[in-house]
Amino acid sequence: MNQKLLGLTRFKSEELLGPLATVILLSIGVGAISASLQLAVQFALCNMVMVLALQIFVGNSGVLSFGHGAFAMAGAWISGMSTASERVKGNALALQDLWEPLVGFKLNLYVSIIAGALVGALIAAITGAFLMRLNGLAAGIATFALLGFSYNFFFNNITFGPGSQALPAVPKFSGIYEPLALALLVIVIVYFFNISPTARSLRSSREDLLAAPALGVSIQRVRWIAFTISGALAGISGAMYVHVAGTWQVQDYYLVFTFITLAMLVIGGSASLWGAVVGTLVVTAVGQILLLWEQGKSVLGIQFDLPNGARSLIIAGSLVGILLWRFAGLTGGREFKIPKLTSSKSSRG
Amino acid sequence: MAILDVRDLKSGYGKVDVLFGISFTLEAGESLGIVGPNGAGKSTLLKTIAGEITTKSGEVNLQGASITGNKPEDIVRLGLSLVPEGRQIFSGLTVTENLMLGLTGRRDKSSAKAAVEQVKSLFPVLNTHADYQAGMLSGGQQQQLAIARALVADPKVLLLDEPSLGLAPTVIADVFSKLREITASGTSVVIVEQRAHLVTAFANKTLILRAGKIQASLTPESAKDEEGLRRAYFGANS
Amino acid sequence: MQPFLDAISLGGTYALAALGLGLVFGVMRLVNFAHAELITISAYVIVVTNDLPLIVSFGIAALTAALLAILTELTIYRRLRGTGPAIMLIASFGLSVGLQKSFELIFGALPRSAAVAPWMTGSSEIAGLNITVSSIVTVGLTVAILLAMGFLVEQTNLGLQLRAAATDFKTSRLLGVRSNRLIGSAFAISGILAAFVGFILVVENPQVDPMFGLNITILALVGIVIGGISSLRGAALGGFIVGFILSILNTFLGNARVYAYSYLFLAVVIILLVRPGGLLSKGNEMERV
Repeated sequence: MNQKLLGLTRFKSEELLGPLATVILLSIGVGAISASLQLAVQFALCNMVMVLALQIFVGNSGVLSFGHGAFAMAGAWISGMSTASERVKGNALALQDLWEPLVGFKLNLYVSIIAGALVGALIAAITGAFLMRLNGLAAGIATFALLGFSYNFFFNNITFGPGSQALPAVPKFSGIYEPLALALLVIVIVYFFNISPTARSLRSSREDLLAAPALGVSIQRVRWIAFTISGALAGISGAMYVHVAGTWQVQDYYLVFTFITLAMLVIGGSASLWGAVVGTLVVTAVGQILLLWEQGKSVLGIQFDLPNGARSLIIAGSLVGILLWRFAGLTGGREFKIPKLTSSKSSRG
Repeated sequence: MAILDVRDLKSGYGKVDVLFGISFTLEAGESLGIVGPNGAGKSTLLKTIAGEITTKSGEVNLQGASITGNKPEDIVRLGLSLVPEGRQIFSGLTVTENLMLGLTGRRDKSSAKAAVEQVKSLFPVLNTHADYQAGMLSGGQQQQLAIARALVADPKVLLLDEPSLGLAPTVIADVFSKLREITASGTSVVIVEQRAHLVTAFANKTLILRAGKIQASLTPESAKDEEGLRRAYFGANS
Repeated sequence: MQPFLDAISLGGTYALAALGLGLVFGVMRLVNFAHAELITISAYVIVVTNDLPLIVSFGIAALTAALLAILTELTIYRRLRGTGPAIMLIASFGLSVGLQKSFELIFGALPRSAAVAPWMTGSSEIAGLNITVSSIVTVGLTVAILLAMGFLVEQTNLGLQLRAAATDFKTSRLLGVRSNRLIGSAFAISGILAAFVGFILVVENPQVDPMFGLNITILALVGIVIGGISSLRGAALGGFIVGFILSILNTFLGNARVYAYSYLFLAVVIILLVRPGGLLSKGNEMERV
């Protein structure tokens, strides 16, 4: 197998079914244990969608983006704003300067999520048009400007939103099945995008920046396409988040969110769908355990006394540690593969 | 004692092996040519000796002391300089600044000024274009700068990777005549070239490298045997 | 006059921040987010040692920042050399967050505060104009440091090696440049520059919390992209422009001042549209990163 072609080139059912099955089993299984774990699972599914959004862009193009929080922010905003109760929008203190048409603006929950995807895609398409002209590293840093702009705008603007306050009374999902269904849908989308010719062209530019144009690949164009789709998925992630939390707050989509989702991607392995899934699951699991320890509780009989804040430190440390040890991530950039139980000395690909 | 002694050198890039056991010696003041087809490993050989590529096995000894596995910046200080393929001068820096950088690897800093004067007399263009940005020099001038830059470190062994690359024939002749002066002054020289004829007449001895192994060793006389040369270069079946 | 002075002083501060980042980027192709924490630790040290004479206090801060910078290089970045800028960028992001949390554990999440250099507050009459002392001092300080750095980079052997390594690290080593020492020097100098930035910022805003240096670092990074990611001069210029524009926006936007960052980012976008490679680049070059 060609080491360098760490991407899918044709449909292999196990590569899609593996992640789907894993996510379904773990979500339902863990979610059934307790109410707080069910909430954790819901948030994890939102994060997973964002990590998947990052994966199709960052994993395929090799260009980093710190700006996806902006798409999530926008997607969450439109989904939250269009589904929050009209009465609250008209009366809440935080929304007293709200633009009139927004008060009556109402969409069905699922339509609002689609709206979130569209808004994310739109912003990504517009900003991507010039961001993709920059060389990889500059583009990555410039996406920070995008995130900063978005945060600054939403934080201070009280005409279109609650500004730095929370937008209350956003309807929540009834359980884990809605976010789970959305996450599974996104996994399917990401899988088929990754085996598409566009993604393949994009990966060729990741491997060799100078050779790709010689093959007739317009790097800017394929990056833009991936960035736009990625923006749509990020918008979905934000829209999901707002219906899990029941409220929209701009800080939820800013630096912590950006950091944790990037960490999940890198720790799992940015080059594959399975990497995105594994990264989310592992970091969520570790985070949960650390959280319980921070709260003084015991996990499976083991107990550590962690000071507050140590949790983030450990996750940050793990991120750096993974990069030092195995920078292709836990999955090494490989897709899901059922381990062959029969062959004893399989070639370590 | 040979000034450069290479024994059974093996190296490559990651999992790909390129050199499969190279051995040769170089005496003081001697000039050695290394020729061979594309992909033979000529550049890899020079880079391995100079420390840019890690040795997988084998030894490199400079004046009897082992430099195997040393860092390039240390090897320079021990008296071995590499003029890399494509010259790699710092185009944004001036000619003088390029030369100053070459002094970094010089052991005896007290005679630095004299050394700079010496290379300037060997390559007069460095004097006339001292404050020019190196990127504005012609190919031949850049090659002279690259050689001068390596020389100011006072090497006992000078390695050159395809010095004729991209240069017109008259310019090449000029460069090679300067190299003759350099060997005459006692510096040993190893030249890698794709175009065998450039080097076979010049060097005391020429090695033919193919597929990571030395196939033959020629003198200026035996190099005139075209048939034998071709056989060694391309393999007995060609 | 005051707004102009303020703009230059903020521009100069951002230029110093960008220069510190640019130095490390030049020798290693590393975008060091953790530079923010070098600024933060300097500010913490200055605040915590405020009862000592300013020079001593600053000296300890500079030493701490330089040592921290070298430490991060030795333990983490050195092992990531050759893995590519993207990996190093993410690692620096993780390191940055890790250090922030460490500061939280050490100094607490609530801001630490002290009145640093009280002689810099207030204003005085110079040439008939009423000007704040801090802006004059800051302008003077940043100009002096930038000139010193310019001298270091252009006229000294160390500077020559830094410039050569930034262009072609591999060939520099072939000429004898000691890579580890050079990189260590770059980190140490970046730490000292960060300490200056920390000092200037903490005089203006004496509340130091774990995320103190974050804002300026992110903006300085954006500034480097505007100025041209592959040259030290470009980095300083880009940083200066970002600081300058930010200051002008803050002064003249009035009530819309809260949107200063938004306008700034918009300006950045426009500059990048016209000059994707940065202001000092030759048009449309794609850097071989």
